[in-house]
Amino acid sequence: MLNFTSLKPQINKMIEEKKKLEEDFLEKINLSHRELKLRSKKWEEISQKVGLSKTSWLLAGILGPLDNTYSLPLRPQTCTVIASDGSQIFPNRHEALPCYLINIGSVVLHYGEEGKAKLNSYPKFFYKDEDRLVIWDGRRIPADSSVISERRALMEFQELLRLADENTNLENTVAICDGTLIFWRLEGTPSDFKNEIIEPFISVMDRLKDLRIPIAGYISFPGSTDVINTLRVGLCPEEVSYCNKCPYTDLPELPCSPIEGVTDRMLFSRVLSKPGERSSVFQSSSKILDLYGDHKIYFFYLNIGEEIARVEIPKWVLDDKELLDLAHTVIFDQSKKGNGYPVALSEAHEQAVVKSRDRDFFFDLIREGLVRSDFRVTVSRKGLSKRIPRI
Amino acid sequence: MSRVGEIVESSTKGFAARSPRIGQSPSFGCFVKTDSKPVVYGLVYEIITESRDPGRKPDPYGKSIEELKREQPEIFELLKTEFRALTIAYSEKESIRFSLPPIPPHIHYFVYECTREEVELLSSEDFFLRTIISSPNVPVDDLIISSLRYAQDARQFDKGYLVRMGKSLARFFKDDYERLSSVLRRLA
Repeated sequence: MLNFTSLKPQINKMIEEKKKLEEDFLEKINLSHRELKLRSKKWEEISQKVGLSKTSWLLAGILGPLDNTYSLPLRPQTCTVIASDGSQIFPNRHEALPCYLINIGSVVLHYGEEGKAKLNSYPKFFYKDEDRLVIWDGRRIPADSSVISERRALMEFQELLRLADENTNLENTVAICDGTLIFWRLEGTPSDFKNEIIEPFISVMDRLKDLRIPIAGYISFPGSTDVINTLRVGLCPEEVSYCNKCPYTDLPELPCSPIEGVTDRMLFSRVLSKPGERSSVFQSSSKILDLYGDHKIYFFYLNIGEEIARVEIPKWVLDDKELLDLAHTVIFDQSKKGNGYPVALSEAHEQAVVKSRDRDFFFDLIREGLVRSDFRVTVSRKGLSKRIPRI
Repeated sequence: MSRVGEIVESSTKGFAARSPRIGQSPSFGCFVKTDSKPVVYGLVYEIITESRDPGRKPDPYGKSIEELKREQPEIFELLKTEFRALTIAYSEKESIRFSLPPIPPHIHYFVYECTREEVELLSSEDFFLRTIISSPNVPVDDLIISSLRYAQDARQFDKGYLVRMGKSLARFFKDDYERLSSVLRRLA
């Protein structure tokens, strides 16, 4: 139970504090915009410095002037969007069986004279030891929520490929997934688990590349700061920045701090003035991409009208202007149709979502099935007390 | 015999069926039957097109249906058309019984429009009118009028049919002249 009487004064305090910071923050955004314009003139210099520097943050790799904008290409009259999303029921140790469920929502939208839609969801139930356990640094341990989340993300990509393979007319088809194409959460995991996810993911990407279906990861309201971090390297007076040997730590404020806290989204809301415009393409420097082979991930920002979104694409989409333009225009059109968020993704989400009552019913079905077959079912007292709270 | 729906809700007094296509349904007042055992006969009294998900509501788009089909094809997958039928009879050993069936039709059986001969048989007596009149939550007067039109269409050469049924209505509405007169005037 949430005590709103106690909570509200805390929210009020937060608002008061934020008001004070607001003006300073606007100045920070202005400064980052000025920096962006300044660095764009000599983008090769900063590109080189970024390449040599070692920072604790992710830096955007630079391929051209940073403040370039690209207007919206014309959308082909006939096109197809495939999208997937997933949700899950995590294992609950208070329940009768150690198991979990992944539900994949899948959407195909054909636009044009033959307009039609296919919306589906596919639940997969994991209960066998090989599904329930994960090989983690040579040992078999139960899959926890982070393992299941990565498996789910992989299944979303595999579903996109299944839809692409099923589709007979692949002309002007774009595959969209919700969120990043970068499995950055795998950084720091043992190589056996990394391989379990990355190898099949690379196969999906190889096949989509063969089919010439651009794939894009769509991130709404992104909090990323890759470009801002690059500008911070620009602000650093050192010829090459090595954060772990920073000579300015004794100063009251680091030379790179004045734009700290600004996000790329805030910066590009100044750069991209018209809905439909996209930014230059930048390279992600995530460590995990070392395992991506030919599919290194790049990104651009896109003015949706309602917000600035981040769109991630693999290298082969960047290298093929036709595919890049197709992804650009189709994603913008999708967001327009969906009131600021791609309609294919919101429908995929609706298909995938597992509501709290579905979760309860899922465990009810398992318990009921076991009891009917004369299995002894034990539920923890905690699980029981949550189900039937006493007064 | 064309299939017009699949039963998605069933009770002793009536059933609801999902149409195979959005916006298509047997018309209001139409005589329909199930392919269950026993066959159950009903009168369509409500047609609803709405969101499949009770948590989502259709929004206006300001576009023609053709434009929507081209540019927002997903919305047609998110809607459903259903119709409700009031049970008026069921079949037993090759004959029709004008009362409620011992067991309602199962969910997922199909629904068909009745043939001309079946409509003629189902409306030969005034039992269906009495069922309509005694049913709560149905638009009684309009359902009488529409179903009688179907019944008359099925027996084009029987000019006395509406007169016979009018007399039955006069008995049913003997305490409510205004209502009787309104129904009869609209039937003419």
